[in-house]
Amino acid sequence: MCYWIIILEKSKTQMESGRGFGGSATRRIPNGKSLEQGDTAQGNNNGMSNGHGYVVLRNRLTALVVDDDRICRTCEKALLESYGVDTQAVENGRDAVDLFASGASFNLVLMAKVLPVMNGLEATRQIRAMGIRSKILAVTAAAYERERRAFLEAGADEFIEKPLTPQILVPILLELDNN
Amino acid sequence: MTSCLWSLENGRAKGKFVADQGIHLKDPLLDYRPMANKGYDANKPTTTMCHQVSQKDVIMRLLFVDGSLYLKGNPAIFHGYLDDQFTQLQKLQDESNPDFVVEVVSLFFEDSEKLLNNLTRALEQQNVDFRQVDAHVHQFKGSSSSIGAMRVKNVCVAFRNNCEAQNHEGSLRCLQQVKYEYSLLKNKLETLFRLEQQILAAGGSIPIME
Repeated sequence: MCYWIIILEKSKTQMESGRGFGGSATRRIPNGKSLEQGDTAQGNNNGMSNGHGYVVLRNRLTALVVDDDRICRTCEKALLESYGVDTQAVENGRDAVDLFASGASFNLVLMAKVLPVMNGLEATRQIRAMGIRSKILAVTAAAYERERRAFLEAGADEFIEKPLTPQILVPILLELDNN
Repeated sequence: MTSCLWSLENGRAKGKFVADQGIHLKDPLLDYRPMANKGYDANKPTTTMCHQVSQKDVIMRLLFVDGSLYLKGNPAIFHGYLDDQFTQLQKLQDESNPDFVVEVVSLFFEDSEKLLNNLTRALEQQNVDFRQVDAHVHQFKGSSSSIGAMRVKNVCVAFRNNCEAQNHEGSLRCLQQVKYEYSLLKNKLETLFRLEQQILAAGGSIPIME
């Protein structure tokens, strides 16, 4: 059962300008910092909104997503790409290690834990053993403390329980961008 | 037809105008997201139409501004089925990626159904391999959290605890519960998408009243 309520109003609108909003240019923040709270036009997500260009990176960052689950791979890749991060994705730890071994480099690695062929812990260990200093984030559905410790001991920089949110990702991207 | 869904204060929307993103009304509860933008011209007089459409218990509010359609919020969040992560996915949808949400959710439905079948089979075994069961639940926890399916995810947390404890009874209960939550969620999302399609389809033919 559908019902419609229709109101029509005609008016001349004025563009509210100020704080850089206005004209037809997309909103950009020149120094790459995210908006202060008061600047957001969108609700309450602290200016971390990616779909509206509020966070802009100076450099072209690169990332590797390692996850055998295609939902997670798709969401994480889309999130990274929305910030202009050049992102590749592989489905197992072995492929990730091989990529690095072949000379590829990435600023950021999102590593899941449970993977076929070679799991995330082992892949992390092997990547670190090669001397790779990329930022490795364990992004996993695992949540037990022992799983967190194991990943950090394997060489991950941070342990993130899925889902990966802009609130967690943006500060990391900004930090990478500044270095 | 005189009910007002929200006030526009003499035709001027409350909030900031962002030229390439459309109007954002300062609504404390819900954000607008553009559905089909045909371009926004700040110098043109604005024709604003507000509509409310409902189907079953899913209500959607939409705003037409000069031929551009804006959808108000996502009601599923307020039924507690989907959390902010789903909103984040919606923000990733744009002109270059216009069907992102529907595509991801379709993949989720496909994968979830396989997972649930695998879980059912694994728990039917004489000697249950709890490590295998846990691996499936782990995957389901990951994918459900990635799309914001919070109730499904929460059952997976309890489910993992039962696998850890090798509790067959508890695991079977969790399986029933996760199937139930999943079917509710699927129903809600399918209604939401169907409604969106109807709105888009009707968009061109809603009459302007003088």
